[in-house]
Amino acid sequence: MTERHAEPAMGPQPVAPRRRPRAGAARALGIELVRTYGIVFALAALVVAVALQNSVFVSRTNLLNISSQWSADGVMAAGLTFVLIAGGIDLSIGANFNLCAVVAAAIGQHHDPGLAFLAALALGTGIGAVNALIVTVTGIDSFIATLGVSFALTSVSEIVTGNQAYYVTRNDFLSLGAGSWHTIPYAGMVMFGTFLLLGVVLWRGSYGQKIYAIGGNREASRLAGLRVQTLYGSSFVLSGFCCGLGGILSASQLGSAQYNIDPTILFDVVTMVVLGGTSLLGGFGAMWRTVVGWAFIAAIGNAFNILSVNSNYQNLVKGLVLIGALAIDVYVRRLARSGAT
Amino acid sequence: MEGRSAAVDGATGSTTAVLRAVGLTKSFAGVRALRGVDFDLAADEIHALVGENGAGKSTLAKIVSGAYVADGGRLWLGDDELTGDPRRHADAGVAMVYQEPRLVPNLSAASNVFLGHPPTRFGLVDRGAAATRLATIAETVGIDVDPSARAADLTLAKQRMLDVIRALDAHAKVLIMDEPSAALGPVERESLYRTIERLRAEHVTILFISHDLDEVFRLSNRISVMRDGELVATRPTSEWTKQAVVEAMLGRDFQVSTRHKEAERSVTEEALRVEGLRVPGALEHVDLDARRGEVLGIAGLVGSGRSTLLRALAGAEKHAEGTLHVHGQRVPWPRTVSRGLRYGIALSPEDRRRYGLVLGMSSAVNASITNLRAVTTGEFLRPRLLLEYASKLLAPLAFNPSRLKVPAGFLSGGNQQKVVVGRALGVGPRVLLLDEPTAGIDVGAKSEMFAIIDKLAGDGLTVLFASSELEEVVEISDRILVMARGRSVGILSGERCTARDILELAFGVEREAV
Repeated sequence: MTERHAEPAMGPQPVAPRRRPRAGAARALGIELVRTYGIVFALAALVVAVALQNSVFVSRTNLLNISSQWSADGVMAAGLTFVLIAGGIDLSIGANFNLCAVVAAAIGQHHDPGLAFLAALALGTGIGAVNALIVTVTGIDSFIATLGVSFALTSVSEIVTGNQAYYVTRNDFLSLGAGSWHTIPYAGMVMFGTFLLLGVVLWRGSYGQKIYAIGGNREASRLAGLRVQTLYGSSFVLSGFCCGLGGILSASQLGSAQYNIDPTILFDVVTMVVLGGTSLLGGFGAMWRTVVGWAFIAAIGNAFNILSVNSNYQNLVKGLVLIGALAIDVYVRRLARSGAT
Repeated sequence: MEGRSAAVDGATGSTTAVLRAVGLTKSFAGVRALRGVDFDLAADEIHALVGENGAGKSTLAKIVSGAYVADGGRLWLGDDELTGDPRRHADAGVAMVYQEPRLVPNLSAASNVFLGHPPTRFGLVDRGAAATRLATIAETVGIDVDPSARAADLTLAKQRMLDVIRALDAHAKVLIMDEPSAALGPVERESLYRTIERLRAEHVTILFISHDLDEVFRLSNRISVMRDGELVATRPTSEWTKQAVVEAMLGRDFQVSTRHKEAERSVTEEALRVEGLRVPGALEHVDLDARRGEVLGIAGLVGSGRSTLLRALAGAEKHAEGTLHVHGQRVPWPRTVSRGLRYGIALSPEDRRRYGLVLGMSSAVNASITNLRAVTTGEFLRPRLLLEYASKLLAPLAFNPSRLKVPAGFLSGGNQQKVVVGRALGVGPRVLLLDEPTAGIDVGAKSEMFAIIDKLAGDGLTVLFASSELEEVVEISDRILVMARGRSVGILSGERCTARDILELAFGVEREAV
């Protein structure tokens, strides 16, 4: 059954790689450039356009402010990048983040912030582990599995809070979100630290290489001796941990947490990763892409504030940008394919 | 036999031909699959088409069904010329039953049969009428199928029968069946045979491809043998013997093949012994043994279980069970690939693009992914180590080191295969399993691959080599394990390592006393 050789044995299968004709080399290079760095150009264009309207946008204070305000999103996007490259999706990140923030705030009201933060991290990681178990043991598609977990968690958040907010006033709890070192906010540092650390793991880590491998070709990876299920599951655990971290940052910044902190955070984070160019099909992507995607979404959000545009339009713009970016990507890919033959 | 052959007039049967082909040619990517085939089907006959893997049987069948358009030659059904379009061929009265039934799994049997043209009433699908119509047709050919059953829930045999019913509904005159009995059990086969005979009684002319000579002789009126894209002989079944069919499939070239290694490799130390290997649904009682420094060829026809055997040995079949001795030591059967690797058994899988490589990753990473520890320090990749390691692995395989950073998907087939084999060698195996390592690579790369295998065996490695190309297996192997229908049917050695002996074993031909 595993024998694939239907007659004719020499049938029409791809034999030799396509070689690009020399004449098309420049065009091919252009296409490659757009595909790889298109999103970078788009970000640059966005920054220039907004800065021309209001130069405050590119001021040091504002940039640092962005890094702090969007830190939870960034941290979660870093974790989600692993899941996507491994060939899955984690739709529970929004609900996981929210529950972790609630737990951090609830414990932080009366206890040591260290304890509150640890508990939230453990919870996030544990939820990630539950996701991992569901997708690996039952084999349920991650889209559905994490969607289900997301609903359950949202409900738990509502039950735990009783639709009330937890307010934390202890300064040591708030310092992570509000504090800074030489005007550089801790939250931003945590986020960039996460980007850097996980980026290096993905880029050069033995773990990262295996994640690319299982996302790129799961069966080949299995036959090569990789523990495919364990690796795949581990990406959800990592994503869960990042949700815990995001929840802590948010609770500490806001000094409060309730059941609906940021209803659009799931979409924002997924958009960041996908907009950066990491493939939903697995096997392709990079942390720098996620950083660019993060910057893009954060910049749009911030621009609405700075240019005082009606913020009701914000999600409309994000949605159109996402669809536009993917449409361009598909178009350019098609060009690349037709240009190569 | 006599009575059945009556419709066939002489050797060509041209006078009562319902279908006639003249000079059909067809090439795929420069490889000639058909080299001028003249062929005909007589009215109401059951015509068997046999030949080795890659002889051109399926290509011919698909040209007749319209799935392929011939590069040259002409084809007539009665007085109508057919020019290659599945729809038009079907309208003219040619239907095909594929090995893998083409069904919509979630629709009912009846919906599948009448897909695209269901019986309607007031513009709505008339389920009752569909069920009745299906039952009527099924009855005439003795097929028992529930019209409302989900297609996916039917057995493979019944799924194939839906194609047959569809063909009858369309009043097909010619029905082509591509290995209709493949993967069927004995009982299902019997009912298939009965159906085929009843189809003939309903004046449907049948062309079937088969690897099972028993059924060929049992069912057919005439047998056509193909070899290397040519139709070498068509004769009434009564004028054939199994021996003659096998000889016609082989031609003269393979009668004598030179064996050059046996004398040089006289090591007898046992490396691997397998007893009673079973993989549910695929393998049943496979035995084999392989010695140190030996190339054990694994031959068998399509579907015989070659690949499953190698995958089971590598630990890639979760439900495999059997007794395994590695270098004289009995060990539990490996159920994970990493366990297999710990035993020193490494697999280079078939279909390298699908099962061997992560196409988007560099050749160097692909070659190292099993053994990343060799190229990392403290969990982090060292690019220099990576390149050194990969080139050290691949250099003996004559892999151009400048291609190490290129994504595996951009390599030629030969180079891709070297990466997969190199990776397997990287873990320092004692047993190397090569599954179709020469598929789709050019002649030069093929002879390179053979030289490599020879050298590895010379260094004491045990190599299991599976290929659907018999000549290759014969050329490279010291001994040959022959598989048929998921069983090991024998191990050939010495003088008996010939393509002819392999086919006789695989087909179960009784060897005449010499």
